[in-house]
Amino acid sequence: MTSNGTRWALAGAATVTAVGVGRVVARRRRRHQPDRAGGWYVVHRGITVDRPVDAVIGFWSDRERLDRALAEWATLEQLDENRWRCVARDPAGGRTEWRAEISVDGPRRLSWRVTRGPVIQQGQVELVPAPQDRGTEIRAELRWRSGRVRRALGLTTRRDPDRGLRDALRRIKSLIETGQMIDTRHDPSGRSPKQEAATNKVREKLMAGGRP
Amino acid sequence: MRALCWEGVGKLAVRDVPEPRIRAQGDIIVKVRASSVCGSDLHLINGYLPAMREGDILGHEFMGEVVETGPSVQRLKVGDRVVVGSVVACGSCWYCRTEQYSLCDNSNPQPVIPEKLWGHSPAGILGYSHAAGGYSGSHAEYIRVPFGDVGAFTVPDGVPDDSVVFASDAMPTGWMAADFCGLKGGEVVAVWGAGGVGQMAARAAQLLGAGRVIVIDRLPERLGTAADRLGVETVNYAETDVLEALREMTAGRGPDACIEAVGMEAHDVGPTYAYDKAKQSARLTTDRPTSVRQAIMACRKGGTVSIVGVYGGLVDKFPLGAAMNKALVLRMGQMHAQRYIPMLLDRLAAGEIDPGYLATHPMSLEEGARGYEMFEKKEEGCLRTVLHPKRS
Ligand SMILES: NC(=O)c1ccc[n+]([C@@H]2O[C@H](COP(=O)([O-])OP(=O)(O)OC[C@H]3O[C@@H](n4cnc5c(N)ncnc54)[C@H](O)[C@@H]3O)[C@@H](O)[C@H]2O)c1
Ligand SMILES: [Zn+2]
Ligand SMILES: [Zn+2]
Repeated sequence: MTSNGTRWALAGAATVTAVGVGRVVARRRRRHQPDRAGGWYVVHRGITVDRPVDAVIGFWSDRERLDRALAEWATLEQLDENRWRCVARDPAGGRTEWRAEISVDGPRRLSWRVTRGPVIQQGQVELVPAPQDRGTEIRAELRWRSGRVRRALGLTTRRDPDRGLRDALRRIKSLIETGQMIDTRHDPSGRSPKQEAATNKVREKLMAGGRP
Repeated sequence: MRALCWEGVGKLAVRDVPEPRIRAQGDIIVKVRASSVCGSDLHLINGYLPAMREGDILGHEFMGEVVETGPSVQRLKVGDRVVVGSVVACGSCWYCRTEQYSLCDNSNPQPVIPEKLWGHSPAGILGYSHAAGGYSGSHAEYIRVPFGDVGAFTVPDGVPDDSVVFASDAMPTGWMAADFCGLKGGEVVAVWGAGGVGQMAARAAQLLGAGRVIVIDRLPERLGTAADRLGVETVNYAETDVLEALREMTAGRGPDACIEAVGMEAHDVGPTYAYDKAKQSARLTTDRPTSVRQAIMACRKGGTVSIVGVYGGLVDKFPLGAAMNKALVLRMGQMHAQRYIPMLLDRLAAGEIDPGYLATHPMSLEEGARGYEMFEKKEEGCLRTVLHPKRS
């Protein structure tokens, strides 16, 4: 595995992760304007993709495929050897821009650090062959900062970035396994536009997160 | 287009709704020719499986004609007459690769409710609430079917619409129920529920080698149909003590396998029924497991209890001690439609299974609400109402 391949692979993971996290954090921030002076929060999440490690890397190394896969949510641009720029779009049409520095820590391991963006964040992704012919485990760790005020307000739950991370991992898995993401938001219904908007809000809640 | 929508607990109405469009590369659009009611819909309509939203289009057991295909669809073409499995499956995750289609990892885009309720999310199901993906259902002129190559199957010529429609759900569910029993030949199989699913389970058990099949229900017309069409023995639980009857019919052993095809709204004659129903109405328990309890008590030592009736949450007074001490095998699940449909279509074409008699009440889509009422109240011997959008 070339180190370039690894970098692409993990850049993909980092970026898509950032997309998911960005969306959720952006939404929360508008409501609460959290203080970001405090300590780090950490979540670990993993997902199993039914493809060998090389195929997972292949998906991300194929820049064209990755861009196509990401088209709906984000664009990404390589600035130099280690630095990337990512612009994520949230469903409401808002844009969140990130700059991240990505370093390769090993053949199947990489970490990133957001250097400019709405939230201080860093993370790691590791690809591990899954037992029993189950493909590849993508294991991610995400750290972000949150301040004392936010903690005092009870806003420091692991939920938000956790939801974003899990949502992003699920997207990656679906894109690699099926080449598409299912979306039922535009399925026909007998709802009025107002009812449809309310239902879309519910759908949004039912899409991200999950397992307690 | 016209579609039958859920309007609140117990309320259905036909509405004008937008037509579906291709949204993803693997989608197909099917022009619906026949769309059946199913016992599962009753759980949804009556609010026992939560997460319906006003305006949701019902229906998940259907067949029709392909009128549009997404760019990556290869196996199907416009004009194909197809039957579609109710369960949505991607065809390329580990579960799909191992033919456990109803456990597909990628077909429920709204997994939060099942993940919270059950720990993980199984596959999405068409027309089956926002807990199962929020897909529009088939009681409409057109429906979008995701992963069309995986879920839709071309139908043999000469098999009528109102027969092949049951290859969508009732037949694969019944087949899976019998498949779970691991029959080797000659077994006694008891089936709770003489609805479409129970009848198909009884037929499947016969084809898989059961020596005797006994069907249990309280509706004389349904029991009569099962006896006439399938040649099974029957027990009416409203008139007979089921456990006694089964023990006697098997000289004390109990059935080797017990199939439960009733589900969470099971009915009973004894005092526990009032107790269950009261608790269920107060949402202290979500499911009424009368027939599951009976199946476990009736089953022979070391036998198999196969549950395809749908349950959503918690049950009360579950005889775990009986199951444990009799060393029973419990099997259950939503059906793996895509695993069984091709084989079932062959058997249909060969005349080994003839489910057409389930379609007791063909109706127009416009009469959908009435069709469900007849089905729910089992009026006029209604086994299944099959809805037909107007032919244009
Ligand atoms: N597992 C799956 O994938 C799957 C697929 C389709 C349907 N289902 C479920 O299968 C069940 C049956 O579906 P159906 O369409 O045949 O429904 P249905 O309503 O037509 O039939 C249910 C039958 O059970 C009988 N019944 C009620 N209480 C009983 C009891 N205590 N003992 C014996 N019989 C009793 C009723 O009289 C009725 O005839 C439902 O729960 C449905 O949700 C499961
Ligand atoms: Zn069904
Ligand atoms: Zn799948």
